Amino acid sequence: LKCTEKYICCLSFQSKSDIISTVEFNHTGELLATGDKGGRVVIFQREQESKNQVHRRGEYNVYSTFQSHEPEFDYLKSLEIEEKINKIRWLPQQNAAYFLLSTNDKTVKLWKVSERDKRPEGYNLKDEEGRLRDPATITTLRVPVLRPMDLMVEATPRRVFANAHTYHINSISVNSDYETYMSADDLRINLWNFEITNQSFNIVDIKPANMEELTEVITAAEFHPHHCNTFVYSSSKGTIRLCDMRASALCDRHTKFFEEPEDPSNRSFFSEIISSISDVKFSHSGRYIMTRDYLTVKVWDLNMENRPIETYQVHDYLRSKLCSLYENDCIFDKFECVWNGSDSVIMTGSYNNFFRMFDRNTKRDVTLEASRENSKPRAILKPRKVCVGGKRRKDEISVDSLDFSKKILHTAWHPSENIIAVAATNNLYIFQDKVN
Amino acid sequence: MEFKLEAHRIVSISLGKIYNSRVQRGGIKLHKNLLVSLVLRSARQVYLSDPCPGLYLAGPAGIPAPPPQQQPGEPAAGPPAGWGEPPPPAARASWPDTEPQPERPSVSHAPRVGDEVPVTTVTGVGDVLQGGEADATEAAWSRVERSRQAAAREAEGPAGGWGVFPEGSLAARRPCGCPLGGEDPPGTPATTPRTACCCAPRPAEDEPPAPPAVCPRKRGAAGVGGGPAGCPAPGSTPLKKPRRNLEQPPSGGEDDDAEEMETGNVANLISIFGSSFSGLLRKSPGGGREEEEGEESGPEAAEPGQICCDKPVLRDMNPWSTAIVAF
Repeated sequence: LKCTEKYICCLSFQSKSDIISTVEFNHTGELLATGDKGGRVVIFQREQESKNQVHRRGEYNVYSTFQSHEPEFDYLKSLEIEEKINKIRWLPQQNAAYFLLSTNDKTVKLWKVSERDKRPEGYNLKDEEGRLRDPATITTLRVPVLRPMDLMVEATPRRVFANAHTYHINSISVNSDYETYMSADDLRINLWNFEITNQSFNIVDIKPANMEELTEVITAAEFHPHHCNTFVYSSSKGTIRLCDMRASALCDRHTKFFEEPEDPSNRSFFSEIISSISDVKFSHSGRYIMTRDYLTVKVWDLNMENRPIETYQVHDYLRSKLCSLYENDCIFDKFECVWNGSDSVIMTGSYNNFFRMFDRNTKRDVTLEASRENSKPRAILKPRKVCVGGKRRKDEISVDSLDFSKKILHTAWHPSENIIAVAATNNLYIFQDKVN
Repeated sequence: MEFKLEAHRIVSISLGKIYNSRVQRGGIKLHKNLLVSLVLRSARQVYLSDPCPGLYLAGPAGIPAPPPQQQPGEPAAGPPAGWGEPPPPAARASWPDTEPQPERPSVSHAPRVGDEVPVTTVTGVGDVLQGGEADATEAAWSRVERSRQAAAREAEGPAGGWGVFPEGSLAARRPCGCPLGGEDPPGTPATTPRTACCCAPRPAEDEPPAPPAVCPRKRGAAGVGGGPAGCPAPGSTPLKKPRRNLEQPPSGGEDDDAEEMETGNVANLISIFGSSFSGLLRKSPGGGREEEEGEESGPEAAEPGQICCDKPVLRDMNPWSTAIVAF
């Protein structure tokens, strides 16, 4: 998998109103779910490859749309709870239906997405419209039969996991045992069983007895892809802790602690902010973790805690602009990062609708842009370059021309193929690598 | 000097963010506010450590202004010394844990910290800045402040006579000669309840719109004994105090108030936030705080009150809101 392969756009979808806040492929890559600020979930399905057009791989079409969360008001605390979907995570498919978890700041929900292409007809006690019949008029009995109908995809909430988080939920992660999952907020991580909604286990609690002593918060958490007892969580201080649930019920003491010493020459007012980790992801192999902070992406080997094995600069040219970025709040943007299926390429977003890919093997990287102009169907993405000083070449864009309102925070990579989904504000783009 | 100006600017921006976070949808975001408070702390340290004499001069002969301001044992006009230290826990403890309205001023510590810092800072700033030296920053400051005024006024409602005061209180805070103020060396948990500092914040006099006194609102349950009206922290000016404690009129004329309030607030607000960062500054939990029991209930009590707005944020909020509301 080379990131220098050309990518073409195969889908560009614009949400009717809202900013996309999360993007996630399911385990087979057949489905892609997006959540938005308005609490809606839109699921795309890849169409089956047709035998007629073997050179065209399946494209993604809208499969289901539903309202997952609504705005709520906590009367006790006089606070509004946003309906924005913070994360979506799929469960592995175990039957014909699809299951996913979606969460806002406070409540996690398990949704079942299933197809209905038959409906029962011929009830005795109800007529075709569903109205009850007067039993006195029934003179014969018949057995209802299933008749084909137009395919309907329906989403139903199967579980609602509420009232377990005082702070804002930032992550959910399905365990490899497929029976439990965790939800993490700023100070606590809870472990849930899918079947039980009225209680959860608190497995991490970093809330200090005296809140004035608070110095860091949890920013992201994820289960190990294979070891159901292991998970990691990242902090606002740029550290990652790996915990083993077998060690104790409350995993307050980490098994491993990953931290890179700070480079004193880079110290500024904003050093702490830019070291805050916004996303942490295990590699598919489970051997590495990747973290994203404001300016870099780092890959860590689970066996080496004192520094990352790789560091990639996403947009180091912003280092001299931190004060402005602080003023306009951009410095608080939480970028995500993703691995490709073979863990050889990592991808993350930037500003001006740019996103970056880094090939871990060749050490090459590329900057691409997700925008309407560049994304006509089948258009090939052209690598972009930011000019950091000196003479700007023709195709380059200067740092000062970057549009900081166009940020790519959420991206996803198909689990096995070179298909990527990129969310740019309220637009979703799906790119796949060019075949031949 | 540039560092100081930049630090000043960053402080202004940070305070604005903290304020705005109160009104944003979805509740206060703990993570973001924590980060902002870290920036605030860094900027504060730079601001206070930048040995720029200009800003500390009281004006005329460069003599540290209001003479009586220095408390015995207070650091002399030198800046950072007292500032770098976390304010005594008691001061913080006075922050209303159970008060429902964040507007209540809870900058109890402010006065004392302000006391430590050469008052000169407070008074002088205004004077000096009037000189145009820091016009830019002052302008930035005023801009930020004014934007809050509107919101502050609205917030003032419930607070009634209590709320608000940023400028008033801040200015008022100028170190009074009150022996109570600032007696504790920075960082020492105040173990004895102090009678309310009777140094009337000047604002007491110029009351009109903004009830002055940033009085760490009355302790409420924690009630530190002592002090009229249960004014908690040492050196803090009790909320309702202003009227009564007109003992130490701030130096400088009334007409200086306006300017001083605006610019002097920076230093004071910095001190305000200084206390809220005690957790960040100190590695070990402070001890000997008299209001501890009241305090303990704080975090939990605070929780239900505002989602995700726990202590550090709450701390930031209160003095801030007072600052803001006053406008």
